[in-house]
Order: sequence, then structure tokens, then C-alpha cells
Amino acid sequence: MNKRCINIICVMLCCSAGLSAADNDLNSVPLGLKKPPVPSDNPMTEAKVALGKQLYFDKRLSADNTVSCASCHDPAKGWSNGEPNAEGIGGQRGGRNSPTVLNTAYNRFQFWDGRAGSLEEQALGPIANPIEMNLPIEEAVKRLQAIPGYRQQFQEIFGGPVNADGIAKSIAAFERTVLTGDAAYDRFKAGDQSALSPQAQAGMKLFFGKANCSGCHGGSNFTDNAFHNLGVGITAESPDLGRIVVSQLPGDRGAFKTPSLRDIERTAPYMHDGSLATLEDVVDYYNQGGTANAHLDEEIYPLNLNDEQKASVVTFLKEGLAGKSYPLMDPPSLPE
Amino acid sequence: MKMLNTVFGCALCFAACTVAVAQDAASTTTASEVLVDLNNPCGVAIQPETGIVYVADSGNHQIIKVVDGKSVPAITDFPADVYGKGPMVNIGPLGLLFLDKSTLVVGGGGKPDGEELLRVYTLPEDGTAIKADTMKTSFPLAATDDVKGEGNFYALAKSPDAVYVTCNGDDTKGWVARAAVDGNSLTNFERYLATKEATEVDAPVGIAVSPEGYLVVGQMGEINVPGDSLITFYDSVTKELRLNLATGLHDICAVAYSPRKQMYVLDYSWADPTQGGLFQVLEDASTESGIRTKRIMTLDKPTSMAFDAEGNLYVTIIGEANEANSKGKLLQIPAGL
Repeated sequence: MNKRCINIICVMLCCSAGLSAADNDLNSVPLGLKKPPVPSDNPMTEAKVALGKQLYFDKRLSADNTVSCASCHDPAKGWSNGEPNAEGIGGQRGGRNSPTVLNTAYNRFQFWDGRAGSLEEQALGPIANPIEMNLPIEEAVKRLQAIPGYRQQFQEIFGGPVNADGIAKSIAAFERTVLTGDAAYDRFKAGDQSALSPQAQAGMKLFFGKANCSGCHGGSNFTDNAFHNLGVGITAESPDLGRIVVSQLPGDRGAFKTPSLRDIERTAPYMHDGSLATLEDVVDYYNQGGTANAHLDEEIYPLNLNDEQKASVVTFLKEGLAGKSYPLMDPPSLPE
Repeated sequence: MKMLNTVFGCALCFAACTVAVAQDAASTTTASEVLVDLNNPCGVAIQPETGIVYVADSGNHQIIKVVDGKSVPAITDFPADVYGKGPMVNIGPLGLLFLDKSTLVVGGGGKPDGEELLRVYTLPEDGTAIKADTMKTSFPLAATDDVKGEGNFYALAKSPDAVYVTCNGDDTKGWVARAAVDGNSLTNFERYLATKEATEVDAPVGIAVSPEGYLVVGQMGEINVPGDSLITFYDSVTKELRLNLATGLHDICAVAYSPRKQMYVLDYSWADPTQGGLFQVLEDASTESGIRTKRIMTLDKPTSMAFDAEGNLYVTIIGEANEANSKGKLLQIPAGL
């Protein structure tokens, strides 16, 4: 590295946020988080985020006008749905837990199996999925184009009529604002020694040590963005094979994406199939070393935590990772 | 050193950035096959004064040397283990490093975490093979109540006063361990750099000491997350992370400097081995990270490399691997890099 080269990098870094002064609100993030990456072809604007929010809450994006994104990713339920799996149109249920939208801005992959590489890529999937919203994208475009308020916003934001790309980009832009941080853990780390109770501090020490949680749930968003086999559901007659279906790599058999743990108490139940109801259940599961199988991740092994230690870890998860900035929000007025 | 101090503030910012890194097309460099009968070879070192190449023939649980183009056992009967998410491979000894002509340091991989050993051998003058348990001294990094034991001592690098070892035990910290050089032996093997805490990325694997004296660690990242490997520079005395560069490479597993002081890395590329290979790392002010990588050669699951005094580069590759059969090779790339 030479000095000239690095000076140029400094300038680039200072400019890399890519947002104008008018978008300062979009440029701020809660304590403990970094600025989320934003694709160069989908810059954040207030107008686009507002449009995305409307689309996110609009049940007209389902075939029978009964299901919106928020139905399964409800702000009041940890941006999930509080149930083991998702209920789509006509009461149909999928086999997987509704992943929270919280901090998905930081995800390297979307969906439990990582089949989408970005929020834009993910956004249209549930709309068209027959057991979720069951509305072909072409039909969704027609419906929105028939609503003057949407037609006008698309014209102003994207310079043209409603289209699938604009729907995806708007929803993704809104989801990038669904951030939770400023948790007791962040304040403790920033120097406030009173931010965590003694039991939560003991849990934190275990979390980053003997309990091995941060082996996968590391970094500012408490995830490594990778895929791991914990053995959850693996003994079922026809187990969900997870990532291998996408990657075709034998080592990914039974592996699912590591979720963020921020505001984890709000997103119960847990695991990719929603099979564990409480955080106590989750810690018990890890403590026993998961479920043995040929592809069990090397990071999953009996932890030998006693009851007090397990309780401390749970306290850290609940007390330490609950965000002061939790984005609880009501549905917006929808265009007619 | 001065230029790296200048960039310290900026360098920390890189950890948060997912950046596009330029990559050049492959060059026309070619390699010749030195050995083709290895099993999961994972380490290579050149003996000082003689120039003899030693290889950790890990899946055969031995260290061999190349004599007249053939593989000759040097240290045998290392503890064995099976490792990996798929393919599963047999492992034994991993990283190799010569302290001097007759003193070889070996990082182990065949024992459980916490029992694994960094071993120091005195090689017999007559060149006969010795057993793995005849080491002069050895060091574990045992578990404590709070800290997981260390194992899989992947790669080794040497500064004038210390040997540094990448470890794969405690994934919450990602330790680089350090042992002080004491004449022709080592002392005080200890956990030294918590690389995961510094970078938020898993798995220090490749390691080298730069011509300026910085400790250079290739942070492999998650094997099923593409493009997350880092090259990081640490002040080996203060332990400060001085530079953290996103590379766009998938699984950096080795770092080395050529006699011309050019930097090279190997990318294992677990998720897509067709993307693996030997890369040169070049500064490039036009990229966001300030570097670009140039593909020198595509390689099938490369694992380790070492330059000899003339500048020839020796690279080990696993090739097609499974539990029963590996077609591991030792390659030689002629001087000029």
C-alpha cells in the first residue's frame, strides 16, 4: 500500500454512504450498528421508502386481498408472526418459520436457505408464491397501476409506470430502514457499566466464551451470515434439507442461515421450523449439543452449562439484545 | 510502516464494507507436478541450506521430503482425524516451518481441540525417518473453564523473535497463537491475537510476516459465504489491526511473499472449487478496497505454499478428495513471481 493510494481510499470511504443531505434520516443507524450496504442501483430516498412501506402493508398484493408482507412479518410480533410457521392465503401454511425483517438490511442472503442474494431479489418471491400471497407479479403490477396513488408515486420515483422492478426496489428500500440496535449490550460496550444487570453480564461472558454462541452469532448484527447444520428437524421422515437444495453442496445438507439475535425475545418461536417455543428451549437445545447427524456443524457440541449459566445466557439475550430503537410502527394510509 | 500508520483510521472502516474488488484474468503461468501421490497435503516448507522441500502429507499422517523427485518419509505416525463439512478428509500434521536447517516446527491437526500440539523436532543428520512422538518439545493450548481448547494449527509464520500459528479451536475469538523463539527451540506458546474480535470474520488460516515486519493474516471467512475473505495486517508487538482489506476472494488459506516482495494468496474456494487458485495481491487506487487480485493460476483446492531461495513456488493442492482417496499433489511454479 502506498500513501497516495490510501489517501484516495479515505476520500472514497467518506463518500461511500451515497446519500444526500436531504436523506440524513435514512443515513442514521442505531447505536451498535453499522450503515447497511445499499445497492448502487437502488439508492435510498424518503419517497421510495414511503412507497415501499405502503406496499409492505398492502393486502391488495395478495390474490384475495387478505395477506400482506406484514401479515407474516408483523412489527408487533418482532417482524415475524409469533407462530411456528407462516400462514398464507386461504390458511395455507409453509414449513418454515417466518424470518424477521429486523436488520435484514445486513443479510448477505435472504430466506432460511439463502436462495435470494438481496432484499430486492427476495421481495417479489412471497407475492407470487402460491401458498403465501399467490398473486402473479404481472397481476400485481396491473393492480397497482390501476390505483392512482401508486401510479403517481411510481412516476415520480422511477419515472414510469408501475413495474416489478420498482415494486421490489421500493419494498427493499423500506426494509432497509427496519433496524434495531441501541440495546443494553451496545450501551454497555460503549462504556455504560450499568446498562447490563450482573446476571446479563455473566450471560454475556458465556455468550462470547464457553457457550460458544458468538462462534456463529458474531459481529454487530450477531450473525455470521453463513449456514449451519444444528440438527433441528433432521430426524423427521422427510427432513427439510435447507441450503443444500440451493447450493447442491453435500456439506450444506441440513444447514440453515444464522439469524440475527437482535431483539430475539420478540421473534419467538425459534429455529427454521419454529419448533422451539422459548429462548430457554433454545439454550437447552444448544446445551445438549444439537441433534446428532452426519453433517452436524463442528461448532455444535455439548456445552455443559449448568442451570444458572443457562439462565444467565437467556437473560443476556432478553435484556442485553432488546433494542431501545425497536421499530414498532403502524400501517400507513394506503393509496386509493 | 509510516504509510500504514497513516491509513490506520481508514483501515478500520474496511471491516464494515462489502466492496467490489477488481480481479484480473488468469495469467499464463504454468506449474509442474512434483508429487502426485499425496493425501490431503496441508503444509509445505523449504529446508534452509539444502533447499529440500518438506510436505505435510496430512491424510497419510506423515511429513515427507522430496528426494530425487520422490516422496520420502521424514516424520511418521502422527495422530489422525477426519475433518470437513464435505468432502470429509483425513488430517494429521498441518503447518510446517523451519527454525533452522535441523529444527522443524509442526502444527498438528489430528488430536482433539485442547490436546492438539505444536511440535518442535530436531531432524536427524543422516536423514532417517523419525516417529511423530519423538519431538524435542511440544505445546498444547488447553481448554480452561472459560476458554475452549485450540486445535488445527493450520499455518505458521516466523519473525526474528517469534513463531505465529493460526488456530481453529475457539471460533468466538479466532486465535493466532505465538511462541517465542529461543535459539533453536520455542517457549511460551500462548493465545495472542483474537482476530475474530478485530475483524468480525471467522477463521484465521493463512499467515506470513511481511517484508516490513507486519503480521499478515488471511482471514478465511465462512466457507459457505462467497467473497468474504480478508487480508489483514497487524502490528505484531502492539497487536493492533493496522489494515483490513476485503479481497472478494472466497476462502484465503495461505499467504506468502516472493523474494521480489510481491504478495500472493491461495483461495481454496470451498463452495466452488473452480474459482480457487493462486492470486497476486496488487495495490490499485481505482478500487474501493485499494487492492485488486490477479489470478495467476486456477488450482483445485490449494492449501499451502512456500517460496524457495531461488523464487520457485511450491504449492500443495488436495485435488479430488474424499475420506478414502485423495489425489493430492505438490506443484512447482518456476521462479519469476
